[in-house]
Amino acid sequence: MAVKMETKSVFDREELMTGTDAVAEAVKLVDVDVFAAYPIRPYTGVMDRLAKFIANGELDAEYIVADGEHSQFEIGKHASSVGARAFVGSSGTGWLYAMESIGVTATDRLPLVALVGNRALDDPGAFGVEHNDALLVRDLGWLIGWASTAQEALDTTLIAYRVAEDPTVRMPAAVAMDGGYLTHSQHMVRVPTKEAVRDFLPAYDLGNRRMHPDNPVSIAPQVNEDWVMEMRRQNYEASKRSRKVLYSAYEEYNEVFHSEYDNPFIEETNVEDADTVLVGMGSASVVARSVAREMRKEGKKVGFLKIRWYRPYPTDEIRKALSNASNVGIIERNFAMGAPDGGAITMQDLQSALYDAKNHPRVVDFIAGLGGREISKTEVRKMYEMTADKKSPKVSWIGLRE
Amino acid sequence: MIRLEVNYRGIFQKTLAYHISGDIVYIAHKEGKTAFSNGRYSDDPQRNGIPCANFAYFSKDLSEEDLEAEASASMDIKEAEVVIVVDDTMVKGLEPWGGYGIRPINEKVVKNGVMLIVSNRKPADLIAQMEKKNYDYRLAIMPGEASFAGLWYFKDDMTDVRVLGAIAKVAPEIASIDTVADYVSTKYKSKEKAAAARKAYDEVKVSTVKAGEGIVWPYPKPVLPGWKSFDDGVYVKGVKRGFQMGPRGQNRNPDFKRGTSKTQRPVVRFDICTKCTLCWYDCPDEVFDPTTEGLYDVNYEYCTGCGRCAEVCPVEDCIVMVDELKFENQDSPYVLYKKDPEKYVKWAEEKKGHERLMPSPVTGKGNTVTKVEASKPFKKGVVK
Amino acid sequence: MVEETVEEFKNANLYKGVHAVALEEFYTSGHRTCQGCESALVMRDFVKASGPRTVVTGATGCMYVANTSYMTTPWIVPWMHTQLAAGGASAVGMAAGLKALMRKGKIPKEKINVINFSGDLGAGDEGLGGLSGAMQSPYDLLVIVYDNESAANTDIQASGLTTWGAQTTFSPTGSVKRIMHERWKKNLAAMMAIGHPNVKYVATSCATFPPTDYMNKVKKALSIGGPTLIHTIDPCPKGWDYHPRYSHVLGELAIKTGIFADYEIVNGEVRYTYDLRNKKRTPVREYLEKQGRFSHFEDEDYDYVQAKVDEMWDEWELPGILPIKSGLKVKK
Repeated sequence: MAVKMETKSVFDREELMTGTDAVAEAVKLVDVDVFAAYPIRPYTGVMDRLAKFIANGELDAEYIVADGEHSQFEIGKHASSVGARAFVGSSGTGWLYAMESIGVTATDRLPLVALVGNRALDDPGAFGVEHNDALLVRDLGWLIGWASTAQEALDTTLIAYRVAEDPTVRMPAAVAMDGGYLTHSQHMVRVPTKEAVRDFLPAYDLGNRRMHPDNPVSIAPQVNEDWVMEMRRQNYEASKRSRKVLYSAYEEYNEVFHSEYDNPFIEETNVEDADTVLVGMGSASVVARSVAREMRKEGKKVGFLKIRWYRPYPTDEIRKALSNASNVGIIERNFAMGAPDGGAITMQDLQSALYDAKNHPRVVDFIAGLGGREISKTEVRKMYEMTADKKSPKVSWIGLRE
Repeated sequence: MIRLEVNYRGIFQKTLAYHISGDIVYIAHKEGKTAFSNGRYSDDPQRNGIPCANFAYFSKDLSEEDLEAEASASMDIKEAEVVIVVDDTMVKGLEPWGGYGIRPINEKVVKNGVMLIVSNRKPADLIAQMEKKNYDYRLAIMPGEASFAGLWYFKDDMTDVRVLGAIAKVAPEIASIDTVADYVSTKYKSKEKAAAARKAYDEVKVSTVKAGEGIVWPYPKPVLPGWKSFDDGVYVKGVKRGFQMGPRGQNRNPDFKRGTSKTQRPVVRFDICTKCTLCWYDCPDEVFDPTTEGLYDVNYEYCTGCGRCAEVCPVEDCIVMVDELKFENQDSPYVLYKKDPEKYVKWAEEKKGHERLMPSPVTGKGNTVTKVEASKPFKKGVVK
Repeated sequence: MVEETVEEFKNANLYKGVHAVALEEFYTSGHRTCQGCESALVMRDFVKASGPRTVVTGATGCMYVANTSYMTTPWIVPWMHTQLAAGGASAVGMAAGLKALMRKGKIPKEKINVINFSGDLGAGDEGLGGLSGAMQSPYDLLVIVYDNESAANTDIQASGLTTWGAQTTFSPTGSVKRIMHERWKKNLAAMMAIGHPNVKYVATSCATFPPTDYMNKVKKALSIGGPTLIHTIDPCPKGWDYHPRYSHVLGELAIKTGIFADYEIVNGEVRYTYDLRNKKRTPVREYLEKQGRFSHFEDEDYDYVQAKVDEMWDEWELPGILPIKSGLKVKK
């Protein structure tokens, strides 16, 4: 889209970028102090670009090529503990290799930001997208946001730092994007100016928890059974508070950068008066939105609901958005072996969100696009039709060779 | 339901404690009772010296599941009908974790319940160290020294089977002495051990501790804060930096004193000290406070009684480990010495007595005791 | 020993004798360590040597769990827990963070010592890769490997640095197999020195013998700069099963018998702190017999350990350090 004249001041330029380029650009704009890299496709493009920034002197940060994802994430965690703004990232099994560190970063309440370039879990070795990697951390105390366009990847990263570092939150944040699709396809992106970003994002301050000789603290001492529950509750409250902070952050982001995010958590396309609604995240949303508009023109009352921030989960937003829908279908780019109804992960969350809602639409699940398989317009149209059809099965695999 | 607690001294008595709390379950089973046992999870891994607790539960009528629900919903228990103490120096108080204060050994004993202590001391000496209760309870003493052995080399001095025999005496509702003796002779294929259990049964002296007997407990019992009353982010403030020369001149962790870990304390003859600094240098608990004249005071509140100072001290008889129960307080020995050196030395030698206990390198192999006829005479003035 | 290096380390303020050692503590009384714990002294002395302008991480292990029971702490300097395998990475993260913040003027420029301590299980096994990563990094940091030869906090399980034949809960002696732990101790410090030529200082030590040696090695490591490593041998009364009174005795014996070589490697130059080459070494049996964990040993076991120790000192390329037999030739 063209940059409006009056908004020029907050934008530096428009540039053709992949999703990972856009995140790298955002990490540069927040003037990150430390980032640690370890190679694994497809997230790794972000580190390639950041490394080039260092080589060209465009970014003043400590750049560490770690000895593995576990060390990589620990480096980020401990850099964050001394008051440095840090960035890490990974994909698929690499993300799982870092899992121990991912867990403690959340319980240490350190606002590390990480990119997860969604990738199928080996074996067999596969590079394509699946959301299981990011979804495996959904309950650990990370904020998780899904980007579906390069512009949204840049925006979401800037907002991730703002919310994660908020003194009332102080939680790590993961920005997720579909490997192979968003990580690699290039789109025009509006790049804000450093100054505008500085106005939007205050300096990182860990306050009385910062590791420094001037602030002698002991962080994460051993506890017995008398303490853990109280600490979990504190984290639970922080997660609840993050919802409010996300709203104010997006409000301000819209003002400063003239973006048009109606809601931080969800994005509706003709949902309000739709009988049949598909719900999904990531790059499939792009196709699903276009098909929704197409079918509207044909007079079919369908809509698409995209989830952007998956943790904290937008329970109220989803209940409200689906209050008129009678059929809901979910596009799942993940698997959950042996889960209720044989459905995948996000169906479990969506159904429990609807359980106490006034409106109880019929919910069906579509397992599609696993391992990076394309989700085509034809398939999405089929999903809309099957969702509308009361006789269709609870769970269907779409695009599977029989 | 009967709740039994075994208080033991960390790793040195772990095997002993598990023998007792395990065997007594087998024995109660033999009498057709429901029983099971567990240990306080936060004690694990047990550390040298730190007070730990094992539990066993018994019932005539409850099912195992009902007994478990009744007894061990928590990892520690609030009350016990039978409290066993296998090292009598624990009557000075228990401090298993930081932030919980120093708790009385008899905190859990219920009205008319029993404290069974392995000790060669008189009841009065023990009661004089325990918190006074507002009800009567029984104090049973089984004659014997505290039995210490390490992780790999267990000293089989029959303390375990003797305690089993003593239990039959003080709590026959758990098991009769005949059942105990049968079990012991079958398990260990040893008539001798069965006899030892019966002998202990006869030897136990039981008396009643009347309400109000004992001391007003000097240590506060902290209340844990709710989730809103402490900061997010699993952190605590560090110990405030602070040091000056002289007794108690070093800032220390105010919420976790380790004094209750010790069975012996180092008694120092300042008058013959050569100021080599090695006691201070080798102390793993930072309890020696430097003084301007080069002597080192001992902060007994934090001393765990390991004996390293006595071992590295190059001057014979200058630092000697002495039975902790011979002492009434944690006062600074240096301050006492400065007040009246000669009087202090006389006092120190009285405490040291004429026996010197030397543990063998492998704890379970016991101690050698040597007699000292005359103590070193008081030396006027301080070595330069 | 101190005299030799006085010129080279003139900015390190080395201690000349125990009377010169600083009196103030920065790791202080009130920790949940065992009576007689040698590792507690490893903690106390490194921070005493590094002083108040220090940040510390402690990898999971008994020096983590024993040292801090919420909500209390014995630490006066800032301290943070890190994961078992993250000792090296935690030091890199802190050092990188502080460096960036200082360079960018976000905090005042000053020398802040960055120290991690990890146990033998953490640094020597699971964290070996991360330790190597730290040793390759460009940062000023010190990793102290406190080696009590077991997973002491999980109740004494064998690690890659446990002495051959020792009883641990993973290697108990039994009616059929007397010796269950059949691995020879990893040569950690030398492995790090030889594998990371950029590292300027690697040393082994014992906290209390010879006196001041350990603290001076900490001072040397911190003053020479770059990533550095000190590996200490820590007698453990609990796991090794001896009376706490004798920790010092066992530390001294570990070095005098030669089963633990005491040395430093300064800019690639090996210096023996306690040189046992071509010297009469105290028979290793005197060391082993004082520990309950070897109470199952028979003569042949003592002889085996003695033979291996003799091999270390009499046959290795670098006696006690580099386990390549003399006479090894490159294939023509």
